[in-house]
Amino acid sequence: MASKQNPAPKDKAADEITYLRPVSNCSGCGDTKVSWSVREGMRRFNRQLKLKGKDRYELIYAADRGCGNLQGYHAYGIVDAIFCMGTGAIVGDGIKESCSDKQIVLTASGDGAYNFNISGIKFAAKNKKFGAINVIYNNYNIRMTGGQIPLEVDFDKEGPALGFEVIHINPYRVDDNAELFKELYRRYLNKEKIMVVADGVCVLDMGKNAKNSGIRMGHFIRSDECLDLKFAKERARVAREEPEKLKGMPKFKCRLCGIGLRCHALLDNDPGKCFGCGACIQFPCPVGALSFDGPSFSTSTSINELKKT
Amino acid sequence: MENNSSFDLGRMRLSGNQAVARGALEAGVRVTTGYPGAPISDLQGSFEQLAGNIPKRNPFTIRVGEMLDQTGYQLAAHWGTTTNEDNAAALALGAVICKGDFKKREFLTEEEWDLVYGDTVFAKDKGKRIPVGSRVMCSFKHLGANTAADALRVSVNVVPYTGGLGIASGDDRQGTSSQTMQDNKVLFGFHFRIPTLELHSPSTAHTTVKNCYRLFEELGVPFAVIMNYDLSYREVSVDPVVELDMEVNHRRKGFTRDPKHLVTIGPHIRPRERKFHSKLIHLFKQKIIENFELLGNRVTEYGAEPKAMIVVNGPFREDFRLVDDDPALRDRLLNKYEDVVVIESNLVFPQPGALYEDLVSKHPIEKIYVFEEGYGRVIYLQLLDLVNRRGLKVKVLDRSIPYEPRIYERFSYIDHILNG
Repeated sequence: MASKQNPAPKDKAADEITYLRPVSNCSGCGDTKVSWSVREGMRRFNRQLKLKGKDRYELIYAADRGCGNLQGYHAYGIVDAIFCMGTGAIVGDGIKESCSDKQIVLTASGDGAYNFNISGIKFAAKNKKFGAINVIYNNYNIRMTGGQIPLEVDFDKEGPALGFEVIHINPYRVDDNAELFKELYRRYLNKEKIMVVADGVCVLDMGKNAKNSGIRMGHFIRSDECLDLKFAKERARVAREEPEKLKGMPKFKCRLCGIGLRCHALLDNDPGKCFGCGACIQFPCPVGALSFDGPSFSTSTSINELKKT
Repeated sequence: MENNSSFDLGRMRLSGNQAVARGALEAGVRVTTGYPGAPISDLQGSFEQLAGNIPKRNPFTIRVGEMLDQTGYQLAAHWGTTTNEDNAAALALGAVICKGDFKKREFLTEEEWDLVYGDTVFAKDKGKRIPVGSRVMCSFKHLGANTAADALRVSVNVVPYTGGLGIASGDDRQGTSSQTMQDNKVLFGFHFRIPTLELHSPSTAHTTVKNCYRLFEELGVPFAVIMNYDLSYREVSVDPVVELDMEVNHRRKGFTRDPKHLVTIGPHIRPRERKFHSKLIHLFKQKIIENFELLGNRVTEYGAEPKAMIVVNGPFREDFRLVDDDPALRDRLLNKYEDVVVIESNLVFPQPGALYEDLVSKHPIEKIYVFEEGYGRVIYLQLLDLVNRRGLKVKVLDRSIPYEPRIYERFSYIDHILNG
């Protein structure tokens, strides 16, 4: 469909039109959950050190090209630099040379970018001047153009060989991960080299595999305590009884979970859109209204493990 | 601490590589990256010695090293550790985008500042100061630019954050230690479209490099300096008085967030690319004309009514200096070309078109002879383009040599100029 900004050229067929829309990841996308943890980890780190205002540590996120990092820019606005394919880690090391002591540089790559420029990541590991936190969004595939035969990477062997301590995380365990990143920022300042491998971050693949394996993924449940649900009822009542007041009312009350996790299912309160990732299980809802019914990827991102449970 | 520290190093022999290193240090460069390869290894090698990564081995690094120690000069050097040229360029890119400090405007007017910095996060700065950070030098041999092309091309998309980045390329147009005799002026000038200069002498290279940092940092664009094989290794006796810019070297560190510039996705780079080609390159040309002599260029008129113009660049320029010292050569020049305007230029790209137009309108010039080294003919093609676009009634004649003769095959370039 053409829009005002993007009118349909007359000499083109309708199906040739490029749609203008912001980048939006799937509701169960693990990349977005890692971004939430990265940002939340820094908030907790500053809070733990009781730092406020200008004294706070600041996160600089030097990324690589790819969907894993584009969401960080579009959805969370935490990405500071994206240049060439594969240069995230080494651009990050350049930034470390010229940034202030109160700035912590985190670098992130997809596994495609990891393969593209493993030597840059190696440099980050060997550079004794600074610490390094290198996040790898591992979706077991090189996906940008889709359909390639995956080049398997054994991070448990390659990471230590490069000089990193490898930590695997389940991207959907958002609270655990935020605590982990909080700890990693401290270790970064001690010049330690850590590679965080976020496993199984393509929920589309995982969802398909789960379905083919006969696993029916669960979905989120919101209890009556949910501030938004209560407010929706109130809005419905006002619309029914005092429609003139409706204009002055906000459209929602809380939405922390949906906005925080960038989850369309939670935002629309529609379990039908839920991939069953289970990130909301660990999300710190202010009234504890979130729960989950059925198996979720937050238990494991491995289909075999899920089968056992 | 003093802002400028001056040291007389006494008589010593300096190669082209060391002269560029000297220029970078005088400019206050804090981060240096590179990947070794003949003929330019020695440039980053000097930085490695000065940064204490390897022992100091020659009089230049020993004496300059003492000087740096005395002044507390900050220098980080990353050589082979960066594993290839692309990583060296990417590391340089990361180091240069951090703008944690400001300096006063030196070359730009307020309107020009608005053009360069008006859409950055610094746009609201009332004093319209220049955001600055570490000055960075990245060096590799000519083939390295192929490897580093990815990072170098993207550096154009993040202008003006790449101001303060100098790239030194050692061209092996002799094919002495390389598989190709590549002319990198094509890459830096025509492909990356960043200001490109070909140096010509170890005794003046440092001044050009230092002034390039001054000018192009303010314009927010990286620049490239190219040396041929001969210049990189050739040593000359000089009496260097090194003046370190400690104020630049000790600038405040810090990264300022500006994802609209530094996250290079389509919607961000499209307007920047447009602006770079349609507006900024014109600004660069104008500033180059305004600072033509600052960048080590010279216009000399021989005779009152010159009908010819000679453009000498790089090694041709080095040999052309003999004309000033030798009356016989001067006579041969005038016999050959009669009255003539000579542009002794380091500039490869962009060529200051308005300057040529001005000279052509002032004098009855009929022919422009271009003497440059390398198959790229970058200057010749730009002048040809200028003459065609402006409809100037001048013939542009290519007198370039497409490769660099090997040392034992070297013929006199001044003879090449004077014999036509």
